[in-house]
Amino acid sequence: MDMKRDYYEDVQFFSSGVVLFWFLLLLSFLAVLPFLVKNYYIYMANYMAINIIVAVGLNLLVGYTGQISLGHAGFFALGAYGTVILMSKAHFPFLLALPASGLFAALLGFLLGLPALRLEGPYLSIATLGFGLTITQVIGRIEFFGGRQGLHTPDLTIGPWHVESDRDFYYLLMIITVLLVLGARNLIKTKVGRAFIAIRDADIAAETMGVNLTFYKTLAFAVSAFYTGIAGGLFAFVLRFIEPEIFGMMMSIIFLAMVVVGGLGSLFGSIAGACLLSWLDLQLRNILSIPYFGEWLEALSKSYFSITGVSNIQFIVYGLIMVLIMLFEPLGIYGFWIRTKIYWKTWPF
Amino acid sequence: MKMKGLFVGVLAVALTLGLSFGAMAEEGVTDTEIHIGQWGPQTGPAAPWGSVARGTDAYFKMINAQGGINGRKLIHHMFDDGYNPAKTKAGVKELQEGTGMFAWVSGVGTAPGLSVVDYLMDKKIPWVGPSAGSLHWIDPPKKYLFAVYPLYYIEAKGLCEYAVEKLRKTRVAIAYQNDDYGKNGLQGAAEQLAKYGLELVEQVPVEKSDTDMKPHIMKLKKAKADVVLLWVTPIHAIRIVGTGKAMRFGPQWMSTSTCSDFPFMFKISKGLWKGVIAATFGELPDSDDPLLQKYKKEAYEKYAAKGERWGLFYYAGILFAEPLVEGIKRCGKNLTRERLVKEMEGIKNFKGIGGTINYAPLDLAEPYCRQGQKEIFLVKCLDGGKYEKLTGWWKIK
Amino acid sequence: MLDFLQTIVSGVAVGSSYALMGLAMVLIYKTSEVVNFAQGEMALVSCFFTYLVLEYHGFPFYVAFPGALVFSAILGCILEFAVLRRAKEPTILGMIIITIGLEMILMGFVSWKFGADPKTMPFPISPYDSVALGEVFVSSLEVLTFFVALAVMAILFFFLRYSKLGVAMKATQQNNMAARLMGIRTNRILMFTWGISSVVGCLAGLLISPMTMQPYMMWGPMLKGFASAVLGGMTSLPGAVFGAYLIGIIENLFGGYVSIEFKSVVAFAIVVLVLCIKPSGLFARHYVKKV
Repeated sequence: MDMKRDYYEDVQFFSSGVVLFWFLLLLSFLAVLPFLVKNYYIYMANYMAINIIVAVGLNLLVGYTGQISLGHAGFFALGAYGTVILMSKAHFPFLLALPASGLFAALLGFLLGLPALRLEGPYLSIATLGFGLTITQVIGRIEFFGGRQGLHTPDLTIGPWHVESDRDFYYLLMIITVLLVLGARNLIKTKVGRAFIAIRDADIAAETMGVNLTFYKTLAFAVSAFYTGIAGGLFAFVLRFIEPEIFGMMMSIIFLAMVVVGGLGSLFGSIAGACLLSWLDLQLRNILSIPYFGEWLEALSKSYFSITGVSNIQFIVYGLIMVLIMLFEPLGIYGFWIRTKIYWKTWPF
Repeated sequence: MKMKGLFVGVLAVALTLGLSFGAMAEEGVTDTEIHIGQWGPQTGPAAPWGSVARGTDAYFKMINAQGGINGRKLIHHMFDDGYNPAKTKAGVKELQEGTGMFAWVSGVGTAPGLSVVDYLMDKKIPWVGPSAGSLHWIDPPKKYLFAVYPLYYIEAKGLCEYAVEKLRKTRVAIAYQNDDYGKNGLQGAAEQLAKYGLELVEQVPVEKSDTDMKPHIMKLKKAKADVVLLWVTPIHAIRIVGTGKAMRFGPQWMSTSTCSDFPFMFKISKGLWKGVIAATFGELPDSDDPLLQKYKKEAYEKYAAKGERWGLFYYAGILFAEPLVEGIKRCGKNLTRERLVKEMEGIKNFKGIGGTINYAPLDLAEPYCRQGQKEIFLVKCLDGGKYEKLTGWWKIK
Repeated sequence: MLDFLQTIVSGVAVGSSYALMGLAMVLIYKTSEVVNFAQGEMALVSCFFTYLVLEYHGFPFYVAFPGALVFSAILGCILEFAVLRRAKEPTILGMIIITIGLEMILMGFVSWKFGADPKTMPFPISPYDSVALGEVFVSSLEVLTFFVALAVMAILFFFLRYSKLGVAMKATQQNNMAARLMGIRTNRILMFTWGISSVVGCLAGLLISPMTMQPYMMWGPMLKGFASAVLGGMTSLPGAVFGAYLIGIIENLFGGYVSIEFKSVVAFAIVVLVLCIKPSGLFARHYVKKV
């Protein structure tokens, strides 16, 4: 928004005292949240937090480096299975298993990044799609990973703290999410982040300026895979049971949608997109209980459509929201935010 | 004055005691209502199974129209989870912590069910009739989980036994869906054949996303199978049988209960389904069993939506809920979860539109104490979707 | 030897349906550089509409099928006009998300209207009758699909190369501004492209539906069609068809001789391998973006 006047302002973590104040306010609100709302909303918040981590990671790849990936469900699955296997079969503690599976996902991300060096657009999306499908197939094949029958997540204990209820898990998740988001923001402000942005805008020019394309492109894949792997490991604990079918292509597409609808190239955007789409995901099934609208829909179903398929309205609404946001604001939710800010900054002119 | 004060005091105490009795009632139960929850895939690739939840809905409406159970009406809360375990868990938590369910009934899918089973068992909430015949529900047996659907494992055993002993065929192959459902069938078939000293001549995995069945048929043809067990979804089953016909491969097809809705399968397969032998866990849609006809008239014709088909999945919703309704009836006016569990454990030789249902007190060494129906019967598809009963109700060990 | 021949023939048969989807996707990509994820669902709507007309209104096939093609053309035009054109300065990813959203809307719409039960399409040629070439069997529906795929490919190829409208389409993709300066109404061209591509997709759907009809039937063919289009080069029509047959044959060979489970995985693996060698697919010219 505001022009940065020197290098140090650009690199500064919080661009002003006001931003820091709002950030601390947000943190304290998040800390107090479980005591204000019912347990179900804490579960929803956990689900949103996991999607935030994935969206932030994916945004680093898609928004800041300009690549495209339709296979992130594969990294998600790797993180989930890695954590569960390490904890239940190899008896690693949680704090070691989670980063370890994240790093393993990062390694595979690096491998996926290698073909990405030459591909772009739809070609890259097919490569990543194929990767995502392969991972779930391979996991499903190996009996050690529970095969197609899935695995139960073991109980979670960190030192003396037994993480059992949604509320305990909420605090654990919040700490991890805040740290990861701050880490991503930091990453963008450093040389690495600027290299990513340079690759997105003009990769040949970037190379002539000395940005090592190979290193940074694969690094982008690896970092986003790491984030997604960590989120996958945490997801295994939210769901308590994992099996390969969950990590299908639809999941990858929803991740991509979260990033694009929220706003490419903006952390705030990916957080907003993740929150919106996961809230819609969980709540849209209640669409028929909205007071007047629900009854009208039911009446409409009875006369022109089948009442048996009436829940499919969820898909229509979901798709409609995605299409409308993208039509009216290509920059996504972040674009709406920027426009609102500009409007109020220059009001009443 | 004093009398009035005394009177008011007694009234206050009586009201408090009365209200607190109301307040101390079990979660999900009031004097006039019982809240029962269910999830089902109303959308998504598994949407044909959504009719299970709608069937239970019509059944509960029928019971309510007849006055409810012991004066209480059954309030059915069903939600759509799209066969996505994350959504199942969200919905179960929302209903349980919001309105508060007394018990859960049916619920389609092994994966969605497994994601909520720990949560429900920890909170000591009864769950009757999961809509999946998986071994996960009863192995190890859980106090509050009562399974009804006969195990896929058992169906496979029954079909193999019939194929080897009655049809005298020895080359048995299986086309199985590559997940828990198919693997259970595979396990059962292999075990039963081993008893006769035989082996499966071919095991062909089928992915849910496969559309082309030719490689599968080629493998089966190469193995010269003369009986093929179909452990897949109805659509894949029809594709396999159809591709088999196109490739001039015609073994004896045998399928599980999911494909036993003959009128429907016959119509969708344009007559190909003739001659298929299926195992089934309940009466067939056009059977003349009086209870089934009663449900059709009272529940389906009065409460089903326009365009709803009277099919196997629909009245399976009724089948899975029957034991729960019986258990609630036996509890009488004093309805608590512990009482329900005790009453359900005492259900012996209960017959609804399925097979005989027996439960036993919880015995951690005996998984079948929580498996209600252990019997199936085999039917063969005739022209026009009619059926011929090949065996009676058959209890498989 | 016989098994090998059968596998090859089955691969060619299954490749034909992928080829039709691939052709539809390439056509749209050729003119507007948008990967159309809603391709399958556009075909789905037309198929279900045909089903509606056949079952409930009792029209004969010879009226219903051309009617379906006309309907799908109009649907494609309307979608482009109402939705894609309204996007203000869209990015490539933005357009992809719009098509994904459209896909969800169309699928939800079809599931809502028709319910989720599988249905059956009364089609004159049964998918279960087979034609025998010696000892090798291929179903009659697949023979029809094969010829339709080749015919469509030939028609589209000559159309794009020699007709005025086709050349205008290629011009629109190569340089939109220059095309408008030359008097080509690019908006109308885009609309026609979507219409034609929707017709091709509808043909694919109609040839897939006799087996079984359910709202999720087009996902698999669309993905494989996309993969084959990428393999052959997103800007080359014969490439899409060639890629489709290649994927079909390799998939079946792998399924027959190595492992059925990993059949689909192998298809994508092949695509990735080919892309590593030829980054823009087999037949397309690789345009290196200038700075």
